[in-house]
Amino acid sequence: MGVLRVERDAPTGIAARVGGVAWRDFDLQLFVYAVLLATLGLTMAYSNTAAQLGGDVAQGGTTFVRGLVWAVVALVAFAAATAFDYTWLKAFSWPIYVVNLALLVASLVLGSSDAVSARWVSIFGLQFQFSEIAKILMIVVLARYLADHDRRLDSLAAIVGACLIVIPPWILVLMQPDLGTSLVFIAVLVGMLFMGGASLRWLGALAAATLAALPLVWTYVLHDYQKERLTSFLDPAKDPLGAGFQLLTAQHAVSDGGWLGAGLTNGAQSQSNLLPVQATDFVFAVLAEELGFIGCLVVFLLFAALLWRILTIAWRSRDPFGLMVGAGVASMILFQIVVNVGMVLGVMPITGIPLPFITHGGASLVSIAIGLGILQSIAMRQQRAEW
Amino acid sequence: MSVLQTPVTHERRPVRFVVFAIVTVLALSGLTTRLVAMQLAGAPAREPAAALAPALVGRQIVTEPVPSTRGLIYDRAKRLLVENVPTFTVSVRPADLPLSQRPDVIGRLSGLLDIAATTITETIDGAIGSRFDPVAIAHDVPEQTARLISEDSLTLPGVEVTVDARRDYLDGPLFTQLIGWTGSIDATAYASLKSQGYLPDDRIGKAGVESVYESALRGMYGVREVEKDGTGRTLRVLSTTTTPQAGDSLILTIDSREQKLAQQALDWGLKLSGAKRGAIVVENPQTGEILAMVSAPTYDANLFSRGISTADFQKLLLDKNLPLMNHAIGDIQPPGSTYKLVTGSGVLADKKLGVTETVLSKPYVQLGSTLFWEWNHAGWGPLDIKDGFAHSSDTFFYQMAQRLGIARLAYWARQYGFGQTTGIDLPAEAGGLVPTDQWKLETLGQTIFPGEVLQAGIGQGYDLATPLQLVNAYAALANGGTLYQPQVVREIVSPDGTVVRPFTPKVIRKIAAPSWVFTTMREAARRVITSRHTYNFVDLPIVVAGKTGTAEFGLRDKNGVLPYHNWFAGFTPKNVWTKDNPTGDVSKPDSQLAFAVFIYDAGTLGNTATEVAKYYLQLHYGIKQDLRLPQLLERTNFYQGGR
Repeated sequence: MGVLRVERDAPTGIAARVGGVAWRDFDLQLFVYAVLLATLGLTMAYSNTAAQLGGDVAQGGTTFVRGLVWAVVALVAFAAATAFDYTWLKAFSWPIYVVNLALLVASLVLGSSDAVSARWVSIFGLQFQFSEIAKILMIVVLARYLADHDRRLDSLAAIVGACLIVIPPWILVLMQPDLGTSLVFIAVLVGMLFMGGASLRWLGALAAATLAALPLVWTYVLHDYQKERLTSFLDPAKDPLGAGFQLLTAQHAVSDGGWLGAGLTNGAQSQSNLLPVQATDFVFAVLAEELGFIGCLVVFLLFAALLWRILTIAWRSRDPFGLMVGAGVASMILFQIVVNVGMVLGVMPITGIPLPFITHGGASLVSIAIGLGILQSIAMRQQRAEW
Repeated sequence: MSVLQTPVTHERRPVRFVVFAIVTVLALSGLTTRLVAMQLAGAPAREPAAALAPALVGRQIVTEPVPSTRGLIYDRAKRLLVENVPTFTVSVRPADLPLSQRPDVIGRLSGLLDIAATTITETIDGAIGSRFDPVAIAHDVPEQTARLISEDSLTLPGVEVTVDARRDYLDGPLFTQLIGWTGSIDATAYASLKSQGYLPDDRIGKAGVESVYESALRGMYGVREVEKDGTGRTLRVLSTTTTPQAGDSLILTIDSREQKLAQQALDWGLKLSGAKRGAIVVENPQTGEILAMVSAPTYDANLFSRGISTADFQKLLLDKNLPLMNHAIGDIQPPGSTYKLVTGSGVLADKKLGVTETVLSKPYVQLGSTLFWEWNHAGWGPLDIKDGFAHSSDTFFYQMAQRLGIARLAYWARQYGFGQTTGIDLPAEAGGLVPTDQWKLETLGQTIFPGEVLQAGIGQGYDLATPLQLVNAYAALANGGTLYQPQVVREIVSPDGTVVRPFTPKVIRKIAAPSWVFTTMREAARRVITSRHTYNFVDLPIVVAGKTGTAEFGLRDKNGVLPYHNWFAGFTPKNVWTKDNPTGDVSKPDSQLAFAVFIYDAGTLGNTATEVAKYYLQLHYGIKQDLRLPQLLERTNFYQGGR
């Protein structure tokens, strides 16, 4: 442990916070992997736009053009979060928590309630999902709480405390209703508790309690359409024209991909717009059909590399807050990959969880960009010995 | 800047990092393995293609339902009444109709089919089921139009033309009330029938035997595999996995010849009297088989099978003469003097009156300060049961009702089948009403008044019955006391001709009275004719027994006169011709024919129902002699002249 205890230079102002950091510690790899993934996402947006319109992909208002706009927004958000001293986040974590709740309440009240879901809020004509941003804000707030309780995570009280922080936004998200995001909250909580060193006994007990509560949730909380979606993956052929349709078509598309895929904008199912929500939740099916196994493997490898970088930053962080943010972002990304891809491949139930970077959706991309930006900020603000 | 290391302020847990990394690697490897299985191993874990909706993707093999043929309907002599004819239906599959082209396509369809664009939009948007299910927007499209649309599939994406079978009701309005019609399944019916293999654009029986025998008539969908191209057009049929099963056919108890004669008689009576509503029912008293059942006014079932317009439907729905109702089973009205059968049988069976015992008929019966008048305001002096029945003496039967009391009167009414549905195999049968103390207490909060007992004894006041209940009661009288459940479907026959369900008479009950009671009442009913209460009815060369009824209802007009219905119910003995049966013997319970005629709001000088019954019997027995008395059908009020 610390033999020498030396205070850092006291920051003297915003300029010092932004400028006085080790830009050489900027994790270039993390940035590159993220940009590559986002580029793949844009490529898929291009393909999907071609599927919808046939020709004029670059004309205003298309999925592809909106994707470009969001990519720029995400880049700006990333840069801002990188430049920003993350230690401020710690200080402001409680106000952030309140803002988070307010946003979720607002989206419940203002959300466009077409169909059954109130999760979309329209800002300047761009559809925006607050629950995506809520995930990152949640990670920050939890990281602060867990960092404060570092070394005390053996106690049940600390674990329960973390759960109590998650529950209000979790319920708000569930009310939208956005089952997928609510599951991400749980995954993030579990990942952060685990990486923070929470007692395995208590984690196990918590998991057992959750399992026990599942029948209740199934009966009283879930809507019929949610149940139908959750169970249809078990036997999509049972209702091939209804709930199982999406799955069957998606699996058909994936199978058609083969080694190299049909080629961009050449997927038979994708280009005939046969896949419902193929630009969002089922985008991986399009990717698998058009870019084939090799394309999928590239995506997996990029994700693996990205996660490795995130874990490295978490490991290097000298400050438990950094570790916790890294753990949260990594858990979030990993969980979303497994559930989204698993859903397309027919091994996971259908939930509306986006595939990070690839799924077309501004909020998801911006939210991850902010998360990675915070990690960069953490990476650059870990001073090292320079004797 | 001091460059000394910031101390690590927390404990590092390498094991947990390693575990997290392992989980990550395992998860991604798992997904990769699954990908390998799906993309590279050739055989996906689940075979998805075959079950897909008509695909938009290249060529696809698709399973689709093969419609079955709905069963046919024959009369008892195997004359065809309903058949299936091909008809073209234009449908839209919403999933195949791109939103951007929707206004164009709907506009074109609107022009071709002559249906308002808004109506088409409403039909598509209001459709139940998945977006991949075709929504029928026009039935019975002319072949020319159908051809135009199906050849124009490029500019009409998502539009399909299918050939369906339409029900053709050969005799149109003659059988509408009985046979009913088929119509598009609605959302509520679909929800409950989905599990039985119904499709959202199915047609189901909605009235008459089409509805009651839906499950027998329907048959079973087959399943076949077809190859379709990207636009959903069928290229070829690959195989039929399940052969469709045609529905079973129905053989009615109805004789279409009798039905026509009955309708001819009723129409004549209605036309001459100016009455609008009526019914005639003919039954075989030995089996409960209904031989004819005509309800007026009627309408053409083909209107519905061709897809009725809203305007036409509104017209039928709002018509105050209720054409949509089968008046023979759905119209409950006071049965009037025909109900004296119940009072007479009851008072004899309960030994409250001897067969030859006479009772004084008089101008009125007084109860407190109220006078209950004889219909002719005079009476006939002392009468026995047969003469009381023959003259239809109200004062006689007031006294019989008093002797019985309301409870026994109700008992005998229910024995004869009043106050309950007969259970005939037709939908929307009404049960009528037999008043009791308990009923009145529950509905009006009081028990029956003594005066109401008198009313109940002559089929007035609260008494309500359907023409079917009446014919069934007189059929029981004619057969010596067995109340049969009337039936309109004789047999169910499978497509290959084997009888799936043979005819079996169903007995509701043996009426709890000794047979001499029925013999006496049959002779009383015969005397109604021989006493010339029914004018020249007796001059027919056949033996007929029956009873007239004139039942007041509704509200008094400005002259203080009530409108009234006419009834006539009766039967003929097996030995029907007077040359064989000169004494007019009806003592044997061997009748083959019972009938009841109901004319709503008759308002004629004589009893229109009796004239209609007479005309029907003339037609039925092929009697050349025409004894109809059209002058009796002159519109006036029988009770005019006041009381």
